[in-house]
Amino acid sequence: MNLFRSEEHLMRWLATTRRQLGATISSKKLCELAHAWHAGTLSPDWQPRTRDESQAILDRLGLTHDFWQLPR
Amino acid sequence: MDDLALRNLVYRRFVELGRAPTMDELATTEEALGRLHELRMVVLEADRQEIRMAIPFSAVPTPYRVEARRRSWFANCAWDAYGILAALGVDGHISSSCPDCGEPIEIDVVDRRPEPADDVFHVLVPARSWWEDIVFT
Repeated sequence: MNLFRSEEHLMRWLATTRRQLGATISSKKLCELAHAWHAGTLSPDWQPRTRDESQAILDRLGLTHDFWQLPR
Repeated sequence: MDDLALRNLVYRRFVELGRAPTMDELATTEEALGRLHELRMVVLEADRQEIRMAIPFSAVPTPYRVEARRRSWFANCAWDAYGILAALGVDGHISSSCPDCGEPIEIDVVDRRPEPADDVFHVLVPARSWWEDIVFT
């Protein structure tokens, strides 16, 4: 799960390392995702999320492609 | 101490120390940490003696360093770099480098927004397989 300077840099890295393209989102959307995912991580009231609660976070951010589907 | 209390203690100590707490510092046992590992509340090293991850925090140096409140931590990946700031509820700075060209990537997070915001985040492993090898993911 890496950050690249641009799509061009990502594509070159994939070719060099002979890896397949996975999924990409902007750094801005990643920041939104991280805040939705981790906002309560340090709360003393933290409770583990269910699979469906985690999937709902991805869905709310428009990450609905099969690639973003958590295992059932 | 129950599992949740131990998990929360691990996270508190990670924040305070800027590194993973040891078993001695936690005054806990291999068995208790092993339970947290099975519950995916922490990730232990292969020998199960030390903590490798308390997501989003990394116990080992990585290409993702996060600074906030005049302290710093390593994140497991780009997602977790933003995740550390989100967990702390603060703005801060992320230092990394492009895996392709090695040029620095320096990001300020202000009011929960990255600047610059045009870097590209790539996820190699599909979500259904993230926990098959979470360290690689």
